[in-house]
Amino acid sequence: MSRRLKWIYAGLVYAFLYLPLVVVAIFSFNDSKYSLAWHGFTLRWYEKLWHNSSLMSAALNSLLIAGCAATLATLMGTVAAFIMHQYRFPGRKLLFGSLFVMMMSPDIVIAISLLLLFLALHLPLGFPTLLVAHAVLCVPFVATTVYSRFHGFQRDILDAAKDLGADEYQVFRFIVIPLALPAVVGGWLLSFTLSLDDVIISFFTTGPDFEVLPLRIYSMVRLGIKPDVNALCVVMMGITIVALVLSRTLLKEKE
Amino acid sequence: MKNSSRFRQLLIGSTYTWMVVLALIPYLILFIASFLLPGDDQLVQSGLSFSNYQHLISPAVFSMARSSILLAGVAALLCLLVGYPFAYILAQSSAKVQPLMLLLVMIPFWTNSLIRTYALVMMLKANGVINQVLMALGLIEMPLQLMYTQTAVFIGLVYTLLPFMILPLYAALKAVDPRLVEAGRDLGANWLNTFFRITVPLTTPGIIAGCMLVFLPALGMFYVADVLGGARSMLLGNYIRDQFLIYRNIPMGAAASVTMTVAMGLMLLLYFFASKRLNREAMQ
Amino acid sequence: MKNIVQAVLMAATVWALTTSALASDKVLNLYIWSEYIPDEVVADFSKKTGIKVNISTYDSNEAMYAKVKLVGKGYDIVVPSSDFVGLMRREGLLLPIDTKKIPHFSLVAPRFVNQSFDPNNGYSIPYMWGSTSIAVNTELLPKETITKAVDLWKPELKGRLIMPNDLREVIGIGLKTLGYSINETNPEHLEKAYQQLQKLMPNIRVFDSDSPKQALLAGEVAAGLVYNGEAFIANSENPAITYIYPPEGFSLWLDSFCIPKGAEHLEAAYAFMDYVLTPKVSAAISEAMGYSSPNTKAITLLPEAMKKNSIVNPSPEMVAQGEFLDHLDADTLKLYEQYWVQLKTH
Repeated sequence: MSRRLKWIYAGLVYAFLYLPLVVVAIFSFNDSKYSLAWHGFTLRWYEKLWHNSSLMSAALNSLLIAGCAATLATLMGTVAAFIMHQYRFPGRKLLFGSLFVMMMSPDIVIAISLLLLFLALHLPLGFPTLLVAHAVLCVPFVATTVYSRFHGFQRDILDAAKDLGADEYQVFRFIVIPLALPAVVGGWLLSFTLSLDDVIISFFTTGPDFEVLPLRIYSMVRLGIKPDVNALCVVMMGITIVALVLSRTLLKEKE
Repeated sequence: MKNSSRFRQLLIGSTYTWMVVLALIPYLILFIASFLLPGDDQLVQSGLSFSNYQHLISPAVFSMARSSILLAGVAALLCLLVGYPFAYILAQSSAKVQPLMLLLVMIPFWTNSLIRTYALVMMLKANGVINQVLMALGLIEMPLQLMYTQTAVFIGLVYTLLPFMILPLYAALKAVDPRLVEAGRDLGANWLNTFFRITVPLTTPGIIAGCMLVFLPALGMFYVADVLGGARSMLLGNYIRDQFLIYRNIPMGAAASVTMTVAMGLMLLLYFFASKRLNREAMQ
Repeated sequence: MKNIVQAVLMAATVWALTTSALASDKVLNLYIWSEYIPDEVVADFSKKTGIKVNISTYDSNEAMYAKVKLVGKGYDIVVPSSDFVGLMRREGLLLPIDTKKIPHFSLVAPRFVNQSFDPNNGYSIPYMWGSTSIAVNTELLPKETITKAVDLWKPELKGRLIMPNDLREVIGIGLKTLGYSINETNPEHLEKAYQQLQKLMPNIRVFDSDSPKQALLAGEVAAGLVYNGEAFIANSENPAITYIYPPEGFSLWLDSFCIPKGAEHLEAAYAFMDYVLTPKVSAAISEAMGYSSPNTKAITLLPEAMKKNSIVNPSPEMVAQGEFLDHLDADTLKLYEQYWVQLKTH
């Protein structure tokens, strides 16, 4: 493939991903209660967002839960992928099977079955139950991504390390993790995305005092999505991009 | 050595605990529930019965299953076609920009999917962005009918599921030893040949992983198809959700979900056995 | 990786500490549709009474019902629609309400009290109401094309209608055009309604209960069955979109405050219900939300334009043709389900 063709293709994919978001951004400046037609420019939705403390706190809750759940799921998923690839032990096929089952279960099924479990264990619904539920949702995605990466490994590297006297922890920490890093990072990103967007599982596994953003947005549809939600999305995207640019410039300075 | 086996036990033990407590037990509860009947006051009635499963053998359920599998399959295929070249370009670009490019793929997905789906509606509808641009350019005179078509549904599905294809493919492509590709080139193969005979086979695990990550969740997904397709037909996801919520029939929803899982599991097993056998024959 | 685990544990501890501090007595846990009560109203209530209101939201009666039924505690007020008031009352999920403790209850218009889903209002206090009826885009269709519900079956409307993605509403309009109740339980009548609806299917382009205004305003569809709130928004964006109440009848919805079993703050719940029914507050809510208030005094306080808007405030004669949705017994619901699935898979 020629260089130019490559960049054109990548550019098209990025355009496909970002164009709808540009629409969201434009309509956050729309001077109308409803995001339906253009009525002129205004900044009042940003002002309204600033005063809407419950929406802001739901957004922060969502970020907190997504960060924690993605980390927990990445930990569990990577370990699961590692042992399934590396070790032979009884019940290994069962692990495969349950990952498969979890991945294809519709979210309502995961939601209801986990809720029944939490109720049976008399756990109060709130942050901890929500965290566990989101991690349960994400683990199969991490495990599949990381496992497929292990397939590309040459086993002799691991054997060589062992011959040189490394114990299994060292092999895991210093060889497996660095080699699998692209997949581990990818798994974390997928989990973060899944958690940030989940509605049904959140609905059933959270309590009255911990509300997350998708729940608020979904229940808003009946009365129309308010432009301050568009504004919120723009602000969140803005923060992500600024953080990205900052971290890159900081890293460059370090170099 | 003692340290080693303890580390191994810790890993296996924690994974087991996680899977048994949070995946197997809840699913087992549902599995048992699928043999019960819904109660009027209680969630379920006692007494075993296969009637939930018998209800599933109906032309309506078969037609839902057919459209769901078709939809998820085409979505996976489209994601692969769009995602593979992209992941390839990503893996080939200089190591410095790769993390940035990867993050740029993910950032759109941190905006709520409902907002993004409605943003797609704004683009596709009769007086939407695409039609207005095309009409302003004079390319069309009447607005194209894009909304509530199969095309709209597939655009929406690819838009929602693309990163689930790109990330495993990228991870797999990064694992391909560039020396193998170079060796192919040195032996006189052109780009197309090395790509299809070296790169693609080496990334098969990534392709399978990506297709699973797109296909399996898409089977139970209905939101995108409902909003962009007009909800004139029913998918398995609708059916299972409705059983749980609208008809308050947890046993029936559980039975439908179990059946879907078992059927898909059998299909995948069959596929893996068949491909293994084909591989072995090809080797001989 | 140890650090990460520590951080997660820390976050969980902080959460546990802050929530246990909040569980004091002057609290009200309100479980309500999102954006269904203005922030100012809640803030004013808290200022006047010193009661802190925790709001959780849901997006469908079904989801709220499932959560309340399965979890059974944590909420002091829920806001189900009429059919779910009936269901939850019959299943013993609600606590009885003593209307004597709510002085402003007497202001509720007679046509919203004492309905079949809750005789004597022993379990529910009306909050907001509306209708599901026919919206027509008069730019795309001559006005006289649709004046009755049965006009939706006209062949020239092929592929031009929108319907709610809701079996009760869709089967309901089939029943209404045949002269039956929307809460019909007679299997023969339901079979007839199904056959009638099969003939309507070619005319339906979209099923959407979430945001039908989108399709209407984009001109994707020319007419259809929508909630009056949706029609109100569509009409204010494009006045050519009108809303009619067909002579065959239509469905009415009424969302009411109820106290679920397991509620822990009953005093606060009563205080809140009475506060919301004060005419000024009811009027402010109705104006901000664009839905109608069942409070007779509140209507007189509304701005003229809203008082006269028949989408929001139809005349009592118009309302008289409407019928409230009530819940269905399990066997009848099975029949509805069967017909709904058949409509959508053929």
